[in-house]
Amino acid sequence: MSEQLLVVRDLATTFHTPSGPLRAVGGVSFDLGQNETLGIVGESGSGKTVLSRTIMGLQPRTNVEVTGSVLVNGFEVVGASERDKRAIWGLQVAMVFQDPMTSLNPVMRVGKQIDEILRVRLGLDRRAARDRAIELLELVGIPSPAERYDVYPGELSGGMRQRVVIATALAGSPQLLLADEPTTGLDVTIQAQILNLLDRLKERLHMSVVLVTHDLGVVATRSSRIIVMYAGRIVEIGSTRDVFARHRMPYTRALLEGSPKISNPSHTRLKAIPGRPPNLADLPGGCAFAPRCSFATDRCREERPELEPAGEVGHAFACWHPLPLVQKVLA
Amino acid sequence: MSSSLYVSEAVEEATQHARIEKKRLGVLFWICVGWLGLNLFGAIFANVLPLPNPLYQNYAAVNVGPSLHHLLGTDDLGRDIFSRIVYGSRVSIEVSLGSMLIGFGIGAPLGMLAAYRRGKFDATLSATMYCFLAFPAIIATIAVLSFWTPRSLIKIIIVVGIAAIPLVYRVMRSATLAYSTRDFVLAAKVQGASDSRILLKELLPNIAPIGVSFLLIGIATVVTLEGALAFLGLSVSPPTPSWGNMINESLAILQQNPWLAIFPSLAMCLFLLCLNFIGDRLRSHYDVSEVKL
Amino acid sequence: MSDTAPLLRVRDLTVTYGTHRRKLSAVAGVSFEIREGETLGLVGESGCGKSTTGRALMRIVEPSAGSIELEGTELTTTTGKELRQLRTRMQMIFQDPISSLNPRRRVRDIVAEPLDCWRRAEGVERTTIVNNLLGKVGIDPDVYGDRYPRQFSGGQCQRISIARSLAMRPKLLICDEMVSALDVSVQAQILNLLEDLKAEYGLTLLFIAHDLAVVKNVSDRVAVMYLGKICEIGPADTLYESPEHPYTSFLLGAALEADPDSPVRGEVLAGEPPSPLRPPSGCRFRTRCPNATAKCANEEPPLVEVAPAHSVACHYPLSTLARR
Repeated sequence: MSEQLLVVRDLATTFHTPSGPLRAVGGVSFDLGQNETLGIVGESGSGKTVLSRTIMGLQPRTNVEVTGSVLVNGFEVVGASERDKRAIWGLQVAMVFQDPMTSLNPVMRVGKQIDEILRVRLGLDRRAARDRAIELLELVGIPSPAERYDVYPGELSGGMRQRVVIATALAGSPQLLLADEPTTGLDVTIQAQILNLLDRLKERLHMSVVLVTHDLGVVATRSSRIIVMYAGRIVEIGSTRDVFARHRMPYTRALLEGSPKISNPSHTRLKAIPGRPPNLADLPGGCAFAPRCSFATDRCREERPELEPAGEVGHAFACWHPLPLVQKVLA
Repeated sequence: MSSSLYVSEAVEEATQHARIEKKRLGVLFWICVGWLGLNLFGAIFANVLPLPNPLYQNYAAVNVGPSLHHLLGTDDLGRDIFSRIVYGSRVSIEVSLGSMLIGFGIGAPLGMLAAYRRGKFDATLSATMYCFLAFPAIIATIAVLSFWTPRSLIKIIIVVGIAAIPLVYRVMRSATLAYSTRDFVLAAKVQGASDSRILLKELLPNIAPIGVSFLLIGIATVVTLEGALAFLGLSVSPPTPSWGNMINESLAILQQNPWLAIFPSLAMCLFLLCLNFIGDRLRSHYDVSEVKL
Repeated sequence: MSDTAPLLRVRDLTVTYGTHRRKLSAVAGVSFEIREGETLGLVGESGCGKSTTGRALMRIVEPSAGSIELEGTELTTTTGKELRQLRTRMQMIFQDPISSLNPRRRVRDIVAEPLDCWRRAEGVERTTIVNNLLGKVGIDPDVYGDRYPRQFSGGQCQRISIARSLAMRPKLLICDEMVSALDVSVQAQILNLLEDLKAEYGLTLLFIAHDLAVVKNVSDRVAVMYLGKICEIGPADTLYESPEHPYTSFLLGAALEADPDSPVRGEVLAGEPPSPLRPPSGCRFRTRCPNATAKCANEEPPLVEVAPAHSVACHYPLSTLARR
């Protein structure tokens, strides 16, 4: 089935702040099919969180302007009314946020929070909803689900809470799951558990997942395609292999080289990118990465490069002086 | 849904940029400061200003409206209203400043110490303060003033001041608590700073804006309180003029002399308005903590 | 390895919170040494006690038992002014860069704070020292010296913290998750800066973090903590290459390498860490360890040297098992 689950075209989100308009996301386009995992990678200020929330339709109406199109299973999210959006929220597309402690209501029992969507949206009666909720808790790997049904979020550990959040998100059997930094802040071993869980669930429930993170390691082994964002735009998009081994955009290389690796010996000098992520309210003309790029030329500073295809299918980058094709760079 | 929920770091930076420009306090702010300054000047120098005697009863000019001789008219005993307002401001200012001195002088250091030390010291002190807070302050004030006669300004100052101590304590304590857990306090400790140094040089500058804000609110509250007490006959004894007294006296002769009701009320109103406005402006000027969208 | 006494010697450090009924042993008998000029990485997951260990060394948190010797001076028994003076020989950098700086003071004054506190330098000398320090951490004192912390980014604030901590020329620097709150690209800058400053100022570092790759990059030796105890301690390269303790192996297995071809490492560690209020008897890791036996429940394994400078607290170190 090649019908695309998620189609994003020229999506742009602008915040109208007291000090002027701020373009958090500018001109993003991509597709996502069934059973695919897409990783969206970027640092703070890259716009990745704003992007995921815009796709979900969570941007408020005041002071925020969203242009472009987001089609979730054919339904246009941009410009849709709250009522229409609510029809797809939870049932076709669900979202998992970063901090499980604030995503769950601390004064409501865990089971009840999952129940809500089952009873209100799917119309199950109390008994059926409870059974299904316990099923979901088991599905996400919570031991003794029947007992855990009655606990409060505060009584659970961070990893458990995140599992509950995932269970809540899956209650309506959505086809698309947006996960915004779902494992940031969790312990490494718990991170691995949660990511494996998401993998398993994806297979079992035939879902597609959009994984938003700043951690390249998270997407390296778990997504089929990756989008690299910088200053609100896509600077590179392609299959995971292409982005890691055959990237063309210098920022992607800098990201890969800048993080310390376990496989490197101790005291390896890191190739740090000078400067810091740009101020979105004050973007330079031309390529946003130019001030920090070692290959920047005058053209880079004046004209902003558009995405152009690389050799491989589905691989595109935005750079006037792309890196030459090399073999795998990772040492 | 407020848009502040969805701000990314980049947006924070953008607004931070805006704040690097110096924020100006505004013309209205300085007008208010000027007005308060004028009140203060009048209160201090009333004796040497060319004002008619506030106590002099001129039966030839009773309930006269505003005129050249009497700028704001006279009351039912022929006393000049303008002069009485100026002298009356003394009472308001003395009571408010005096009681705040007591309240802050005792409440603030205790609050800061309790928040900084924590432990038993904090627990016992806070419990005591909250017990005091449980008493309705106004009723307690009224009760004490009713029995502690003869009334004088000092007594009012003391009673109101003591009533203010738990309130100041609470505010300063929670403000200190908010900052004492921050890493920079820890960093100062780690550098070997002594406790007193930390309290004075690290914590106090951060809490000061909150304290000043509360101080201004406190002054406004006490000025109003004096008015209320006057209505119960518990403010300074006549013939000493005070704004509250004057308003109280005006009720009986409202039909004949509306000026006695209007002008002191106006004086009090303007005083309070200016205080509140200054407090507000100062607070938003010095608020450097969160992003504002 | 020189034979001189270590700069920092910690023996049986214990930090316990709570009363008789509910005791929470945050740090349960931790011992290690750091030689001058060395960087010891302290790694572990949340609740393992690594941050508490760092804070106990600075006596921000009071040790319940054990000894801490800095250059031969016993820290646990010093108090008052002497303690404050001793503290200047050790400095600490915290996780949250913004809250580490007093929002109401100028950057210049923040960096000079230790000097002012101890009246070490005045006037021109003070200004020179401050400018020098700011320059060393890559912040132009003329442009940025008079600004307030809120006008800086996280990475810059962390640099300012570093400059401040170097003002008194400490011998030991404890870094408590100092890059955890920073962007990846900024992290790399700060880590490089740290290495440079370490060489220039002759620092000894205790680097506490939960990110394995970061810790390895910075450290000479690494100690792994679990539930208040050290499971393994050894040279960074060998510890990561051939871990001896099963927990270390799981930790490394769970670490996510930015490499799509990295081998999918073994099983994922199941379950959750036990509550520090009721730690398991014997070896604390036994409830999640696939190799656990009855001996592990009865006897707590001591920290034993299995290779030069490499010690592990396990009855069945991985190299001794037939598997692998």
